[in-house]
Amino acid sequence: MQSAGNAEVMETLTGIFRDVFDSPSLVLHDAMTAADVENWDSLNHIDLIVAVEKKFNVKFTTKDVTSLKTVGDLALLIQKKLVPKP
Amino acid sequence: MTFTSFNFLLLLPLIVALYQIVPPRGRSLYLLVVSYGFYWAWSPYGAAALAVATGLTFYAGNVVGNPASERRGRIVFLVAIVLLVTYLSIFKIAAVVPLGSFAGVALPLGLSYYTFKLMSYIIDIYWGKIKPATNRMDFAAAIAFFPQLSAGPIQRPADFLQQIPPAQTLIWQGLARVVWGLAKKMLIADSLAPSVNYVYSHIGARPGGLDGAALLAGFYLFPLQLYADFSALTDIALGIGMMFGIQGPENFNRPFTASSISDFWRRWHMSLTNWLADYLFTPLRMATRSAGTAGLVLSIAINMVAIGLWHGITWGYLMFGLVHAVFLIVDALTTRNRAAFFKAYPGWNRLGEWAGWVLTFHLVLIALVFFRAHSVSDAAWLLSHAWLGFGHAKRDVSHLLAITGSKVLLMGLAGYAALDVAERFRPDQWWWHYQLTAPHWLRRSMEFATVVSVVALLVLLTIRSGNHASSFLYQVF
Repeated sequence: MQSAGNAEVMETLTGIFRDVFDSPSLVLHDAMTAADVENWDSLNHIDLIVAVEKKFNVKFTTKDVTSLKTVGDLALLIQKKLVPKP
Repeated sequence: MTFTSFNFLLLLPLIVALYQIVPPRGRSLYLLVVSYGFYWAWSPYGAAALAVATGLTFYAGNVVGNPASERRGRIVFLVAIVLLVTYLSIFKIAAVVPLGSFAGVALPLGLSYYTFKLMSYIIDIYWGKIKPATNRMDFAAAIAFFPQLSAGPIQRPADFLQQIPPAQTLIWQGLARVVWGLAKKMLIADSLAPSVNYVYSHIGARPGGLDGAALLAGFYLFPLQLYADFSALTDIALGIGMMFGIQGPENFNRPFTASSISDFWRRWHMSLTNWLADYLFTPLRMATRSAGTAGLVLSIAINMVAIGLWHGITWGYLMFGLVHAVFLIVDALTTRNRAAFFKAYPGWNRLGEWAGWVLTFHLVLIALVFFRAHSVSDAAWLLSHAWLGFGHAKRDVSHLLAITGSKVLLMGLAGYAALDVAERFRPDQWWWHYQLTAPHWLRRSMEFATVVSVVALLVLLTIRSGNHASSFLYQVF
């Protein structure tokens, strides 16, 4: 089950994806991969990551980025980074 | 070991047959022994070097993947990568610069391929994408797997290990793929080779040198030869892999249909470009992401130069990489503008698609001139003279026809289209589909036809070259 936080993250992500991949009607779901999104390739993958970093005010490492497989992974990673460290 | 050598093709059925009676659990060990047997036959020193590199990487992987000692893991990771890159570079550099005692030492067979397999393994562990392999024999088999050893495709070790123990061997499907590759190599690539070689060894203003339209034969035929040659090598490697129950990664997806340079690189030598995208380009982009466009430009440039120099350290390969870097940077920086233009003027869409295809095709061909020519100045001469002198085009072309024969030129013209259509209907794909449902008589006839094709190609091979098989272009890297 998705938490409310996840739904918010997904909504913001949708806006970022639509903007970066120039696809106004794009609808995201958890299992989506780069193969499912037109124009999403290694050339502009980091553009997406930079846009996400700016919007959510988080920082990713190369290790974070390379282990992402799906949109759901990305949403989960963002949520993890948003939780304030104790 | 060359796939088209007679000895290899005679030995292969025996190896496949014996594999059938080996229980699945013993199969990776069997593959390991066979693979090292082939390597040993090429060079015992080479086999020993492969074993040492594999063993060290395996142990390094265990240390890097141990969560109890992160600091030690990071140091071992760095040492392993530096050692592998140094090992690869020394031989690549020694091939062009005399390096003391290294001078004249042959490049170990498949060095560029297996060091990339080893590096991907250690990096994936470091990034936490995979766990270290549990069985060193399985791991060694993944690195040395003989169908992929001499020329790829570059299969990530984890992908190979997932298929261990190989339960289902696809002998007929694999054989069909091998036939496909052999036919492409022997009927297309080897037929084009003499003309291409002739053109590229007669460039320039010297006695007997070619000028004008004759040079276009080299320009248009070499890419087809290279594709027919290299993709054949991949077909054979993947087909043999299937016979042992190992599915390898595809290397080509009809590259000459690409509509842009970035599209081309998603279709050409994919196992190499995916490797570089994951382990070089993405880390570079991450490191330079605060620099915006400059970061993108720098990352593309380094990545494309690496693709060029991976083939060897020569000015020609460097130029090949640089030319593609320029193409790809322009492509990446104009993507949005082009999309906006075609959105605003949808009537231009169709023309844009065609223009994109024709332009991409020719840009790819221009870059490949640097790849093939003996020197950068030869390449520049060809590119600047091929479209000149149409006044004596007839003389130039008849000169070339006298040397090559008209069949080859015709084949070159029709070759791209024919090969592209044929690739859509590659036999192993539809064959696999029908094999399950076809009636018995049809299945038997297909198997018969496959065997007949193999025999016919073997006979052709014997007639053509006796025991001296023509080598593949991509087996030298």
